[in-house]
Amino acid sequence: MQADLDEYGVSLLALSKDTVEEASIHRTRDKLSVTLLADPKLEVIRQYGVEHQKALGFTTGSFQLFGIPFAFVPSYKSMAIPTSLLVDENGVIRWLDQTDDYRLRSSEARVLQAVKSAFT
Amino acid sequence: MNMMAIGMAVTGFAAVMVAWGTYLGAIPSGRVPVRPVGAIGLQLVGVGLAIAAIVSSFRDGRSPGVAVILPAAFAVMMASFFFYLFSLRKTPVGDLKVHVGDTLLAFEAMTADGAQFRSDSLAGKRTLLKFFRGGW
Repeated sequence: MQADLDEYGVSLLALSKDTVEEASIHRTRDKLSVTLLADPKLEVIRQYGVEHQKALGFTTGSFQLFGIPFAFVPSYKSMAIPTSLLVDENGVIRWLDQTDDYRLRSSEARVLQAVKSAFT
Repeated sequence: MNMMAIGMAVTGFAAVMVAWGTYLGAIPSGRVPVRPVGAIGLQLVGVGLAIAAIVSSFRDGRSPGVAVILPAAFAVMMASFFFYLFSLRKTPVGDLKVHVGDTLLAFEAMTADGAQFRSDSLAGKRTLLKFFRGGW
């Protein structure tokens, strides 16, 4: 995916409600090469109107049972609705994709299709 | 010991776990089905077997043993949890502040390295900006 984006000179930025520390852990753990942006106060997320209030999220390690961190502890929190924005060199939004079902994301094929039609 | 009841309870539990495993396995590759008919169907079968196992062991006139109750209860619990999560899948769209053709709204954030990031730095660059739910 990254190689295909490089071909069109598109760099990838990913923003979430994670703190700098969480984003840093996430990047190391999943060996991510994309720039992760931290927006723990949801300022950018609210600015763009992509806040999902009371989304059920899962946190690793916040609860321990007999000293063993419980992997997935559900709790309600505000977070971003998965949304993709393709922006050209003039800062104009060329394509926008948002999900009404958070289980589903912009597929690789759809993103590439959008990149191709915007920049060829 | 009602071996048939134990068998049904364990099979029911296995059915639910197979559904969970297959569904979770589809997440990293982005192949989550829009309508997970298989996962839901399999879990309904699992719950059916679990309930049948408990009913069957009560029919024996004795209370169902741990070997029936434990897998049956887990099957029902895990399936209910799946259906609960599935019911929460919708996101409240419609509040989006930008549209195709608009200019990016200026914003600031911190990078994972702790450095200040300003959207001005994207000038002259093509960017795919993704809002995501965060690491977990």
